[in-house]
Parts: sequence; structure tokens; C-alpha cells
Amino acid sequence: MEFQELDPILHSQLRLAVVSLLISVREAEFTFLKEKTNATAGNLSVQINKLKDAGYLDVTKQFNNNYPQTICKITKKGIEAFEDYVKALQTYMNPNGQ
Amino acid sequence: MTTKNENLSPTDSMQLINSMINQAKNNFSENGFLYLVWGWLIFTCSICHFIFLKLDLFKQPEIVWASCWLAVIFQIIYLSRQKKKEKVKTYSENIVNYIWISFGICMFIVVIIMSKTNNWPMMNSIILMLYGTPTFLSGIGMQFKPLVIGGIICWCLAILSVFIPPIYVLLLLAAAVLAAWIVPGYLLSTKYKLQNKQ
Repeated sequence: MEFQELDPILHSQLRLAVVSLLISVREAEFTFLKEKTNATAGNLSVQINKLKDAGYLDVTKQFNNNYPQTICKITKKGIEAFEDYVKALQTYMNPNGQ
Repeated sequence: MTTKNENLSPTDSMQLINSMINQAKNNFSENGFLYLVWGWLIFTCSICHFIFLKLDLFKQPEIVWASCWLAVIFQIIYLSRQKKKEKVKTYSENIVNYIWISFGICMFIVVIIMSKTNNWPMMNSIILMLYGTPTFLSGIGMQFKPLVIGGIICWCLAILSVFIPPIYVLLLLAAAVLAAWIVPGYLLSTKYKLQNKQ
């Protein structure tokens, strides 16, 4: 079995954590992702933008009671990329395909 | 958490994915408040209706159920405020919400059918059966056993209700909401408080 290349967009600790969280929920607010990943707001914001630029996330900015709110949702492309990433990981963890 | 990827081995990646999925899965947002509001309201209305009928206190003892309309208005306001506070929306919560919306619609249709056919003695038995369905499905969706058990108890009481005089079915309604909403409501509340303490 050949080793598949790991998607560089997902093969980063924080971006992978964000996508893994969003794969299990319908949508999540920025503060939820920050709380669960223990990342700094600045770093998280940069990584979310990278995922958004890759077409993996839909990011909606809105106001709630005059406070800005950022809502993130995984896209179909993001789900497919995540599934491919997991399949690729399996080739590394189980190279004989057993 | 950082953005480094040099040291991220396949095992690390898998562990990270598992840990994040579990974190999202264990995020329990149901605080049980509405189960308690409706549970205590239906419990009180059933007992009052039974006492009024038994002691022949009022000409129209069923008037106590009008208080449910106030609870509907309260629920709409409460849910619209809660929605603004939500940090995350899960798939199971979405399904559970639609289950309760369909329950509300079914209740409305049952009231119309019963009032049109004048078949009021049957109404409480059907309501008991209807209480069971969303309670059971919510329990399955939320993986919360007390609601599943509560739903099954409602169905058992619905069967029992056809074998006893209609007036005592009101007491079965009280027992049903105690088992299906009040007890699970307090357990949900405790679970929610414990999660938010951590």
C-alpha cells in the first residue's frame, strides 16, 4: 500500500482541531472553538481564515445584542477533505492495509 | 494549541481528532428548564382538575388547562432568548427541536379533532400516548436514559388509561409528567450544572 499525502491545510494541530470539532456539530461560534481548543483569539482567527480560504469552512459574521459574533460551519468540501485526511492517516497507521 | 505540524505524527492526529469529537459530543446544552416548567404545570393542572371534578367545585373545571397558553407564550420568549446565547448548534439538538415542534402540532390537531367529535373521554389517553413519543425520541437523540424510560412509562399509562374510569386518567397524566418530564428535568438540570462547573 502506498502512503497517501496528508492535506497540508488539515495537517496542522489547530486547524485539524477546529475541523474535528465542526465535523461533529451543525455550527459553532468562535468563542466555543476558542474554549475547546485553548488557542489564542488571534491565532485561531488566522487559522479559521486559512480554512475559509481553502473552502473548508463557511464563516458568518453577525451582531448579537450589539456584540460581534462569528459563526463557523464546515462545508461539503471540508467534510470531503476531512474524510480523505482520515483515510490517508489510516495508510500511515496501518501500512499493510490490515 | 499551536499551528505546528512538523511533530504531528499520524497517531497524534488521530488522538487529536478523537479528543475534539468527544469534546463536541459531550457538550450538553439541555438544562432541563422547559421540562420542569411543563412538567410542573401539567402536574398541577391534572391534580387541580381531578380535585375540582371530585369535589364538584366548578361548572367548568377544565378551565385550569387554559394556563397552558401562558406557558406557550413564556416558552416562545424563553427560547428566542436562549437561541441568542447558544454557542454551538448540534445535529441532535436540531432533530430534538423538530420532534417537539411536531408534538405541539399533533397536540393542536388532537384538540381540534376531539372538540369536533366530542370524544373528550378518549382525549387524555391519546395525550398520554403523545407525551411518550417526543419524550422517548428526545431521550434517544440526547442519549439520556431517564427520558427514554419516561417515554415508555407514558405509553404504559396510555394503555392503562382505557381500563380505569376517565376521572382517574387525570391522575395518570400527573404520574406521566412526573416520570417523563419532572424527574428527567431535575436530572438534566443537575447534569448541566455539573458540566458548567468543570
